[in-house]
Amino acid sequence: MTDKKRPGGELASRPLHFIWIADCSGSMGVDGKIQSLNNAIREAIPEMQATAQDNPNAQVLMRAIRFSSGAQWHISQPTPIEDFKWEDLSADGVTDMGKAFALLAEQLTIPPMEERALPPVLVLVSDGQPSDDYGSGLKQIEELPWGKKAVRLSIAIGEDADHEVLKKFMGRYAEEVGPLQANNPSDLKNYVRWVSTEVIKTASSPPSSELEEGASGKTVNVPIPLPPAKSEELEAEDDVW
Amino acid sequence: MNQIFKAGDKIIPHNGAKALVVEKFLGGGGQGEVYRVKHKGKYMALKWYYPTTVNTAYLKNLERLINKGPPNENFLWPMELVFDPDSDGFGYLMPLRDERYHSIVDLMKRRVEPSFQTLAMVGFNLAHSFLQLHSKGMCYSDISFGNIFLEPDEGNILICDNDNCIFDGEVTAIKGTPRFMAPEVVQGNNPNIQSDLFSLAVLLFYIFYLHHPLEGKREAAIKCFDLPAMKKLYGSEPLFIFDPVDHSNRPVPGLHNNALIYWNLYPHFFKEAFIRSFTAGIKDPLHGRVRETEWRSIMLKLFDSMIYCPACGSENCFDPASKAETNLRADCWSCHKQIPLPPALKINQHLIMLNYDTKIYPHQVKGETVFDFSSPYALINRHPRNPDRWGLKNTSKEKWVSISPQGIIKDVEPGKSISLAGGTRIIFGKTEGVIEIIDDLNQKDLN
Repeated sequence: MTDKKRPGGELASRPLHFIWIADCSGSMGVDGKIQSLNNAIREAIPEMQATAQDNPNAQVLMRAIRFSSGAQWHISQPTPIEDFKWEDLSADGVTDMGKAFALLAEQLTIPPMEERALPPVLVLVSDGQPSDDYGSGLKQIEELPWGKKAVRLSIAIGEDADHEVLKKFMGRYAEEVGPLQANNPSDLKNYVRWVSTEVIKTASSPPSSELEEGASGKTVNVPIPLPPAKSEELEAEDDVW
Repeated sequence: MNQIFKAGDKIIPHNGAKALVVEKFLGGGGQGEVYRVKHKGKYMALKWYYPTTVNTAYLKNLERLINKGPPNENFLWPMELVFDPDSDGFGYLMPLRDERYHSIVDLMKRRVEPSFQTLAMVGFNLAHSFLQLHSKGMCYSDISFGNIFLEPDEGNILICDNDNCIFDGEVTAIKGTPRFMAPEVVQGNNPNIQSDLFSLAVLLFYIFYLHHPLEGKREAAIKCFDLPAMKKLYGSEPLFIFDPVDHSNRPVPGLHNNALIYWNLYPHFFKEAFIRSFTAGIKDPLHGRVRETEWRSIMLKLFDSMIYCPACGSENCFDPASKAETNLRADCWSCHKQIPLPPALKINQHLIMLNYDTKIYPHQVKGETVFDFSSPYALINRHPRNPDRWGLKNTSKEKWVSISPQGIIKDVEPGKSISLAGGTRIIFGKTEGVIEIIDDLNQKDLN
């Protein structure tokens, strides 16, 4: 007998690139913010992997950029979520967000990006204000076809995050959800989980109510589900930012 | 996400019935969460709704579904409402899904590998079950990967998430799942029994071809597969990848290999059903779609057309319609060797290929009114002293009569067998079958 009872391979799927753009400036080292971010991403991975198991339409590929004084690929290879391992970020330096955008733009160009894919999901996480010229990097992203089509979301950590910049990064998506404001580790965990599971689900298979012709008056190409509500009752130790 | 209940939580229903004990969180979705619970000494599934997701009309529909009862045992149907007086929340109890059942996603990702004959049974069970639902005047509205489960040995199925079933013509918040929704639903119509038929055809196509029926050149040309692209491909400009007239959306080698590999493995009658589903079925939702009764016959016919390659053991379909073209023998899809054909039993122009392990069930002989797969009506066996002689054993409760090509008449009592000699007629009560040797080179070898 042959190994397989039937010929062919798995159902064809498209790649879905998910990229974290993480602020690692010195202020992220205060009050355990960077540790909370590391922890929230680590917590989200098993759920992302379980979600990927049930998603026949997408091959989720994850990587991460870090920015502080300069910007680097923290995890450079688009890694299948099944094999993804988070490497902890550490904080120091300034907030060179523009350099991170320029790095991102290089990778959203075709090639190295595939011609055919699901909309990429780009998530910017920041607690402060850019120290460099972020506008030119953002312009580069917005001029690229994949930059235009990408789902761009942002998570603001703490009260000092620059919402205007985060909104500009989000483009049309700012009208849908706005930057997600995380004031404690619990909110951060919920938002990280939401962007990495619910948003991926909807980017690979939008809810039916949005597929109906004329049902959506929205301007975005991927309908964004409702984000989780902020935690109302904060435990004392959470309320540290 | 924080779960509504924890293991060990007790829910005391408002009617004062005995408490339900939460055992395990099973999963969550857009509407609520599902738990394994212990209720009156039995394990059951409890779906609990998030407070804002359902309204009074939804609750009324649930009550109606519970009163109506399941269309057949393949539906994990709502059985009893549960209200929690403390939280004003509510949910319903339903049977638990057995762990032997796998999701269709497992099939798509090749984590389960059923045989072709098992898939034919899956297809039959799906068509049969949705026929039962539709016969009650109800539609499902969301046939898709997530709601159907299959057991990979016998081809049994389970249909979950039945709380969204409505009566045909009613309006529901659930419109379906992208890739499965009928084009008219994508374009704004409400789902109904006819759109269920389209979604069923998509699901069957996925099951048998591991591909979507509308994803060919047009899908390949789309760079970013987002909402506007999906609306066009599945809604405003749907075109079957094997449309016999318009060839402009054929599968693209390298991108859509499964569609190309599988298309010609199946017999003409099988392909014709999909052609109709995605040509006339798109143009004319009301009259053009393949009905469940048709799918049922098609699936049983596919089951009966299966033969084994003696060289590698792989299952292949024998296509009587291509007899003339292929000079009887087909090449095995796996080892590419020619497959000698086993004998066949022909009843009313329908061929049942007789493999070493073939079992024949009452509906195959008596017509398709009752489907009972619990005990075979006949099966293939070897002569006890001469292993080269194969026969059809009478495992029914009635006597058959055989008439040899020479005109010799014999009774075949229950428990006895009749040799598979070409031209032998067998009278099964009111039906008559004849043993056909299609391939002269293979009179003896059934392997």
